[in-house]
Amino acid sequence: MNTASGFIRALESGTRHLFVKRFTLRYPEQKLKFVGDGYQFDPKKGVGIAGLRGRHILFHDKCTGCQLCSIACEGIAEAIAMVKVDEQWKQNKKSIMPQIDYGKCVFCGLCVDACPFYALYMTNDYELSSYTKQHLIYTPSQLAIKPIDNGEVEIKIDSRGASHG
Amino acid sequence: MSSLDEKIEEAKKLSMHIVKESEEEKLMTLSVGPQHPGTGHFRFIIKLDGDYIVNVDLDLGYVHRGEEKMCEYRNYFTNIPHLERPVIHDSANITYSYSLAVEDLIGITVPRRGQFLRALTSELDRINYTLYWLAIYGIFLGHSTMFMWPAADRELVLDLLERLTGHRITHAFNIPGGVRNDMPNNFKEKCLSQINYLEKRLKEYEHIFYNNPLFRQRTEGVGVLSKEDAIKLGVTGSVLRASGVPYDIRKVEPYDIYNEIDFNVQYMKTCDSFARAYIPFLDVRESCHIIRELLDKMPESGDVREKLLSNIKGPPGESFKRVESGRGALSYHLVSDGTSRPYRVKISTGSFRNIIALPFLLVGSKLGDMPAIYWSLNYWPIEADR
Repeated sequence: MNTASGFIRALESGTRHLFVKRFTLRYPEQKLKFVGDGYQFDPKKGVGIAGLRGRHILFHDKCTGCQLCSIACEGIAEAIAMVKVDEQWKQNKKSIMPQIDYGKCVFCGLCVDACPFYALYMTNDYELSSYTKQHLIYTPSQLAIKPIDNGEVEIKIDSRGASHG
Repeated sequence: MSSLDEKIEEAKKLSMHIVKESEEEKLMTLSVGPQHPGTGHFRFIIKLDGDYIVNVDLDLGYVHRGEEKMCEYRNYFTNIPHLERPVIHDSANITYSYSLAVEDLIGITVPRRGQFLRALTSELDRINYTLYWLAIYGIFLGHSTMFMWPAADRELVLDLLERLTGHRITHAFNIPGGVRNDMPNNFKEKCLSQINYLEKRLKEYEHIFYNNPLFRQRTEGVGVLSKEDAIKLGVTGSVLRASGVPYDIRKVEPYDIYNEIDFNVQYMKTCDSFARAYIPFLDVRESCHIIRELLDKMPESGDVREKLLSNIKGPPGESFKRVESGRGALSYHLVSDGTSRPYRVKISTGSFRNIIALPFLLVGSKLGDMPAIYWSLNYWPIEADR
């Protein structure tokens, strides 16, 4: 290929790009839609269910305080600590439940794989920033709250290129 | 010997000394890095004679994390999240060979669908890494459009990886025994449409970057690494293939289902920076082809993971496995003494083996060619330091 046609081809390609849709996610106004309600694990089959690994959700009526999630986190992030809760549950004699420090958590989800009682899952909530380190530590009662999932944008591909809707 | 001859000899010695000293003064020492000469922390000390490089000293190890030692204090599963940190954009490949090595050690085979999913994430991550690398190569040569386009189109691959594994980078998806979860619904159609669109975009990359006369002038005939030198220096991956050696571990020692996949090994015989920049791009194309083939041949249903105890004990012995990562051969040598933790883990990465060629390529070239040669070596500082 000679020099002139090379330049012309490059310029033409760049100019055509002026009419292609912008590939930008306008983040706080637009939010991505994810598959499912976050990463879950089925201990009977031994296989996970696809989904985003955001912050955890803890089901208080299923947690037995067995500490398997805390043991699974040893050597990875050591973000899970078992703390005493005021509630009384039949299956949880010791009344201890996991408390997760999101300043340390790496969101690998191996604690979810370790839970044999369907008590700990992950959710689509990824907005965890805070002004203090103390606020990154989520207590069992904070972990029980189901996050509001309002993502609706997906990648769309048409004749004018790919864009976030 | 007469006194005159002695005097002449002395004068010669003196003059030699004078010339030598002035030559030393002529050289300028330039320290590139350690604050991001490209990406990551790494330094090379260059001695310049005018515009020409006469000596290069590599100074590696700024981001050494002791990954190999860390492996000895964790069990076979908890090793996964920290092992993918050296290459967060290619984390499927760096955990791939680890998982293969552990499976070889304890003697299990992964279910067929699991093998396909592994290969799929591996190829998606190869595209992801290469587009990121290409974006930086563009900005290295002052081509800011080439920074924007791959950085935006990476979103297509990141979106697919997010759907499949739950994370855009650092997936923790490959584990000993298979993969963590099955494909979500409608993933196949989504994957095909986005990969087909990406392939269309690759043609435009060729127009604006690879066939651009400006880019060609800056890279063609620059930093020539001959076939013999490449083999002697022990470079791997795209650098080796750009020097005319068609060597790809996916073909030479096929792992998992790669022996059933039909693809070509991309190589070029020009041996220069252009070839080293072009081969990863051709690999992306080939990866798009492989992804389509994988989705086509994948069994409709089945297990994806072999159930293992979370605290498996490896029998005493050794295993060695390697895969073709985005930067070349990535191998793990595992030694077990029968406990639940590995006795020794040796990681050998493509980045470290490719950067060894840098002093040989830079000496004799101009300083202006330094970025074009340095980043064409397909190097990731954090992975090299481990």
